[in-house]
Amino acid sequence: MTDRKKSLLGGVLGDNIVLSGLMVISPVIICGDTLKNAEALIYAFSAITFLSVLISSFVPKKLPYTAKVIIYALISALVYIPVKLAAREFYPESIERIGIYYPLLAVNSLIVFQTEAKFFRMKKGDMIISLLSCIVGFDIVMLLTGFTRELFAYGTINSRIVDVNTLIGGLSQPFGGFIFLGLMCGAYRFIRGLVSRNSNNDVRSDADVSDK
Amino acid sequence: MFLINDLIALLAANLILSQALGTSTIFIAAGSRKNLIGTACVITVFTTIGAAAAYLIDLLIQPSIADLRLLFYTIVIGILYVALLASVYRFANKWFEELRRYIHVSAFNCAVMGTLFTINSRAAMDGTMFDLGGYVSAGLEAGIGFIIAALILTAAYKRLNSSKVPASFRGFPAMLVYLGIISMAVYSLK
Repeated sequence: MTDRKKSLLGGVLGDNIVLSGLMVISPVIICGDTLKNAEALIYAFSAITFLSVLISSFVPKKLPYTAKVIIYALISALVYIPVKLAAREFYPESIERIGIYYPLLAVNSLIVFQTEAKFFRMKKGDMIISLLSCIVGFDIVMLLTGFTRELFAYGTINSRIVDVNTLIGGLSQPFGGFIFLGLMCGAYRFIRGLVSRNSNNDVRSDADVSDK
Repeated sequence: MFLINDLIALLAANLILSQALGTSTIFIAAGSRKNLIGTACVITVFTTIGAAAAYLIDLLIQPSIADLRLLFYTIVIGILYVALLASVYRFANKWFEELRRYIHVSAFNCAVMGTLFTINSRAAMDGTMFDLGGYVSAGLEAGIGFIIAALILTAAYKRLNSSKVPASFRGFPAMLVYLGIISMAVYSLK
């Protein structure tokens, strides 16, 4: 795979936004305990992020950084309204369960910070491919988390009871989400290290304020 | 005894440890103690003043247009963002370059927005909290909770990044597991 392809499709596996960038992790930790929640979050995240970044790409680049960040957040908050209205039709139960994490998807760092740091430095076509790969990366992690946590916490898959000998109730709790995501993150790095033999594991947002 | 009770209540209501709000931000700033404390303090300013503004918005917004709440909160945080940058530029110009990094990272994130939505949902459930004082103290409490979580993370930061931790788990994965264990302890206090 060429470097260009790697950079465009990296969001799916190579530089996954959740497992590598640790972005948008709150909904994964708290709400990613069932497949139904995962589906509702995937729908909301994908729709809000894709539309917001796409619309935000038309904001003049000459504006000051602060103004642009505020405009991106406002666009995202506007996109959230029709997405939420549609979600009430498709996922009425999950909306209740997800609660405050639904609007929080609209202020995720992929929209507010990565737009400036990554997407808007690319050509439109490349930006869309890269954005879609980042969204798919989140969707895969969300599905995997929802499936595994539901299976081992409740002994069900998509609300259907399955035969599981060992149930770990704590997996449905926030602390279970933290620990599960930490372990998943470590396993992801291990596999990525084996595949790429690349020791540089830390891919962070350009919004990093670390003074190291 | 009262102090211990207050501390337990503060930990149990901690938005990072109980609701994972602002976890990404705390990891972004985890590079150094100075960054963590700086970011936590700026977030406290945002949550406290933002909560006061959120009270006014919640007073005005009717349930039929509740979906517009995010838009209004975003406008408020945007105004606060600009006001804070302008204030620092005007009154603390010497530290502007340093402080503005914290302001940029703290303005739009789950910690601040999540706090406003959490206060709103708590107030909807408990009518006695629905006053300006209740909102502001909840905002301040959330900010202090963030500072406490930042201190807890700082205490173990070096060890979680040491060479003794397997390379795959070094840094963020170990920090997530660590926060999970602390969160488990806090969960037992509820």
